[in-house]
Parts: sequence; C-alpha cells; structure tokens
Amino acid sequence: MSLARRNLFQDKTRLGLSIFGVALAVMLILVLKGFLTGMNRQITSYIDHSPGSIILAQEDVVNLLGATSLLPEGIAQRAETIRGVDEAIPILSQFVILDLHDKKQPAYMIGYEPKQGGGPWELTAGREPNSKREIVFDRIFADRHDLNLGDQVEVMGKDFTIVGLSNGTTSWMTSYFFVRKDAAEDLLLASDATSFLLLTTSDGANLDDILRRLNDLSGVNALTKREMAANDLKLFAKVFSAPLKLMVGIAFLIGTMIVGLIIYTATVERQREYGVIKAIGAKNRFLYQIVLTQALFASIAGSMLGVLLANGAAQWIMTTRPQFLIVFDPVDSGQALLAGLGMALIASIFPTRVMARLAPAEVFRK
Amino acid sequence: MIRLAFRNLFQNKIRLVISVGGVALALLLILSLDAIFTGVERRVTAYIEHSGADIWVSQADVRNMHMASSSLPDSVARKVKYVPGVASVTPILYLTNNVVAGDERNLAYIIGLPENAEFGGPWSISSGQSLPAQGETILNRNIAVNSGIALGDEVEILGDEFKVTGFSEGTASLVNSVAFISMDDFEEMRGSYDTVSFLLVKVSDGESPEVVAARIKTQVRDVTAQTRTDFATQERQVIKDMSTDLITIMNLIGFLIGLAVMALTVYTSTLSRRREYGMLKALGARNTDLYLTVLAQAILSVVLGFLFGLVITLLLTVVIPIFGSNLLLVVSRVSLLKVGSVSLVIAAVSAMLPIRQIAGLDPVMVFRGR
Repeated sequence: MSLARRNLFQDKTRLGLSIFGVALAVMLILVLKGFLTGMNRQITSYIDHSPGSIILAQEDVVNLLGATSLLPEGIAQRAETIRGVDEAIPILSQFVILDLHDKKQPAYMIGYEPKQGGGPWELTAGREPNSKREIVFDRIFADRHDLNLGDQVEVMGKDFTIVGLSNGTTSWMTSYFFVRKDAAEDLLLASDATSFLLLTTSDGANLDDILRRLNDLSGVNALTKREMAANDLKLFAKVFSAPLKLMVGIAFLIGTMIVGLIIYTATVERQREYGVIKAIGAKNRFLYQIVLTQALFASIAGSMLGVLLANGAAQWIMTTRPQFLIVFDPVDSGQALLAGLGMALIASIFPTRVMARLAPAEVFRK
Repeated sequence: MIRLAFRNLFQNKIRLVISVGGVALALLLILSLDAIFTGVERRVTAYIEHSGADIWVSQADVRNMHMASSSLPDSVARKVKYVPGVASVTPILYLTNNVVAGDERNLAYIIGLPENAEFGGPWSISSGQSLPAQGETILNRNIAVNSGIALGDEVEILGDEFKVTGFSEGTASLVNSVAFISMDDFEEMRGSYDTVSFLLVKVSDGESPEVVAARIKTQVRDVTAQTRTDFATQERQVIKDMSTDLITIMNLIGFLIGLAVMALTVYTSTLSRRREYGMLKALGARNTDLYLTVLAQAILSVVLGFLFGLVITLLLTVVIPIFGSNLLLVVSRVSLLKVGSVSLVIAAVSAMLPIRQIAGLDPVMVFRGR
C-alpha cells in the first residue's frame, strides 16, 4: 500500500493532472445525465401543473408535445355528462416557430380560457391575457430576448403585447407561451377548435371507470396525466438516448485512458524496482495489488472531484444559461463512482501485463 | 529537434497510443456532437430538398415546416396557379402524429398527397408503390423494419387503419420520419375539406424561382412564398438556433478534457526525458530549441489525435446506420476547421507546463546522476 502511495505521490503534478482528467470525464457523464433528468422535468412541466387528472386527446394521440390533436366538435359537453367528470377545460395548443431578434425559437403555444384554467401556474409579473392580442411569456425566455411587460412580439404574423411573465415554463429546446383560446383559433385559422380537454374529476371518483366511459366516446383517447407525461418522456428519450449514450461512452473511455496512461507510466518508470521486488520473492499478485491500488486511488479521487466539479459546472451553466435545468440524482453520483471503479479496473490491464512479463533477473543485468 | 520530438513520441508505443487515443476521444466529443446536429439539420430538410418544388407557399408568416402549422384556404391554390411563371401547383396536407403498429409508436410527418401528385411524394422507394391510394400508406423502410412492419401490414394513423403499400428511403431523422397517405384520407380524418397546409409550386422553364416567389407574395394575400432553398435554410436555422448553447457547452467540456489529456501526456513524456534534456542543455542546446521540441511533440500528438478522432467519427457515420439507427452523423467542413483550431490551441497550452519544467532544468544535474 505504502509503495503504491509513494509511486503515486512522487510526482504531484502528474497525479493532479490525472485526477483532474478523470474528474472532467466523470463531470461530463454527470452533467449529461443531469441535463437529461432536468430536460425530462421540463418536458412534463405543463402536464404536471395543469388542472385535472385526465387528458382527453384526439383518437390515437397519446402525447401532448409530439403530436397534433384536434378533438371532435361538442366533445367538451359530452365529456362533462360522464359521471365523475367535474369540468372539461379546453386548450388549443400547437408548436410555433417564433422569429425573435433573427433567432428562430420553437415555442409551444397554449390557447386557454383564463376563467377556466389551463394557463400559466405561476406568474412572476403581470397578469393573464384579457384580450385576443395579449400574451404571457416565460420570464427566462423573455429575458433571453430582452423582452419585458408591455413589449410587442409577433406570433404567426400577428402582434401581441406581453402582459404577464410566467415561471417554470421553459427548457433549452422550447418554451411555453400562453394566449387566449380565441386568439389561438385565429392564428391557426381553426375556429372553435380544441386540441385537448383537461378533465377534473369529483372526489373519490374511480378514474378507471371514467377513462373507460370517456374512451367509449367516438374519436377520442382519454389518458391519465401520468400516462401522457410518461408518453412524452418516452418520445423524447427515444430522440435523445442514442446521442447521449454515445457521449457518455466516449467520456468513460477518456477517463479510462487517462487512468491507464498515468498508471502505465508509473509502472514502467518503476520497472526496475518491481523487478527487485520480484527477485526477492514477491508474487505477481502482490505487484498487481500495487497497480490496482494506484489505479483505484486515481480514479476514485478523480470521480469524487468529478462529482464536485459537476455540481459547480451545473450551477455555472444554469446561471449563465437559465434555460438549462440540470438535476442530479443521487443514484447518478453513485453510478459515477462505479464508472470510476470500472475505469480503474480496465486501466490496470496494461500495467499488470507489464508486471507479469517482468523477469526478476532482468534487474541485475542492467 | 523535430526528429527528437518524433523519437520521443514514437519510442514508447503504448504511451503514444494512450495519449493519441485520449486526445482523439476528447476531439471526438466535439466532432461527433457537431456531426449529430449537422445530420439532424440535413434530415430535417430532406423532405423539403427532395420535394421537387421550386417554391413553397405557406400561411402568412409561417416560414417553417418542422414544429409549425400552416393552413391555407383551397382558393389560394387557384390564385397561385394564375400567377405568371407558375407551371404547376401541388397542394399537400401536413401534421405531426404517430404511426402505430401494435405497441410501437413512431412520430412522423403525416403528408396528405393528392391523387397522382406531381411533387411532395417519396423520392426514393425501396419496395412497393410510390404513391398512396385511399386506405394506403408509404412508410420509411428503417422505421418499418425496426417496428416489424412488412408490406401489406396494417398500421394506425390518426385512429384509422392503413395498409402499408410502399417503403421509402431517406425519410427518417432522429426526431421523426415521413409517412405518406392520400389527401382524401387526410381530409376525412381531420374533418376539414377546404384547407391545405402548403402549396408546392413548380415554375415554368426559364423563370427564376426568386422572381416568381416575389410575384406570388405581391399578387396573393396572406401567404408566405419562399424558394425551396430559402425554406430549407429557415428549417436548418431552427436546429442551429436551438443547439447553439448546447454545442458551446459540450465544446468547452471537450476542449478541457482534451487539454487535460494532452497536458498530462506531454508533461509525463518530458518528465521521463528529463535527463536527456539536461544532457542536451549541458552540450549547449538553447532553451528555445528544447521548447520547440516539446511544442513539436505536442503538435504531433494532437495532429495524430485529430486524425484518429476524425477516422472514428467517419467510422461512426458508417457504422451507426448499419445498426438501423436513424441517427445520421455528417462531418461538415466548418466543424473540421473548428476542431482543427481547437487542437492547435490544446497543443500550444499543453506545452506550457513542460516548457516551464525545462526552463528550470539545471544542466549540471545530469552529471550528478539525478
């Protein structure tokens, strides 16, 4: 143990660089995972905060964000006649591309009736829209484009005045904005159209029974909010999982290479000393232990520093680019440490091979 | 001195592989992320680029297709047809929805095509029909294979059953694919018969698409007319603007990792050659010569790492589609230039630490046996 420690600590700059390298690789893995967790939270933010427990969509539509839904006319009245349904809150929603300061910004428009609900759940400034040409923007989204209360924005060729700023309604990809439902109908040239109904149910009502009865109505698909949120997450996971896995894989390989380089160099440099130890009767297993101890120390120290760095980097990213939400799951930190262990084990393969081939007599020949 | 740098670098092959591999992987981070987004840009515009139309007409102020909705009254098609320079007009209906096959759901642009559509249909068919009749659909082959759908199978779109009669190529991206159905089916399912989403316009021979687009804008009210190139540029811009911040952050992390690996390598290698450098100093070599050796070594490693990283990225561009993924990686010249510049900065900065080491090296040390 003390030999391993001495080998490692003899050159502190080298040790520092290797720990820092591993830390950066682990930080990258953690930031990527935290980024995905944060994105998942942002994706479902509207569903999580909207009123009701059931969402009624067009037949075959199972996502809020992924698909366009158009409900049959008069469905709100029919849904409200179903036992257990208290209120049907209509929204008309659609992704639109906003041109803001020469930047194209995808945004999800929610057209809602302020009296019924389904609009922003937290306003940091201003109020809800009272007229067809008023709009509530996300506060971070507005800030990024230097917009404030009273400013005008153009949506699909029509000018709107910002009358409210909402909180918790943005992500790095897109942002929610809210207008009155009749304004959304005008923009989409679809009068009286409804995309989704948010259904509130009476206390103690059996959700399964209500869902069954709603699904008996023609041309609709009724889901619990939880199901729809899970479907949206699944949809986005499908899009992002391949690139993310590629990045995490690369980061893991980088960490392994860094630990490998440092342990290999330390082993080769001490080749003669290891030969002497072998010559005086040390078994290969003992020497492997020394290599593994060094690898474990460098990678675990690197992983722990990586966890700290990841937290710092996340704070920095979220301060400078508030549209990003990075959320760390304690499980991810545990996995990062495990990744560090994995790096150490793989990185020890080369140096242990050097040890195994080392002839004890060689040391006396030099 | 350059030869010395070469020898230093190539003497220990394992160290060379590890250091070049480390830098290559760090640069691969930057290269592959760029390649992913360039691939998304290309695939997102594939339908527009291959539509065959010279001009796209959409609802006023709708300049995109992806994540957008456009609605035009039927009458607009007739008005556009009468604009001088317009040879033909093909209306299409469009929305984003799921193609359902059993438990598999795949997000797709659903395109409603008129009978015998001149433009806007699939441009490359691997098997089956090239245009959908009523009750039929043409799907992307990759998506179909991954979902276990064969020609003749039934899938559900917007709640109705469709028979799969054709497979198209190049119509799937990381985000979604394109599914073609007949305009009649589309209208029936949406319950609206008097609107279309976009008009695909072909201009007469000898007419400039820019000029005809300008004419459409002035002669037809409440529409946006863009040449195919302009429309595709707008579409690419959405992806660019969405990904800029993300790419900047990832580039920074990739740069730092590359820097750490390179600094570690050059430092370790210089350290192990400390005696040789001391000897050279004792023999009269100037510090500048030794600095150049270290710098040359760093640049050589980084250049090798860059080439290796590029080869891996190019391999990924070939290998990933083989496994049936819709993740398309495209290495752009801009990305190569950027990563090349980043590599040189990494080499220069990583050489600083060993240079300091050499500067403080005492030539006498070598004779003392230290």
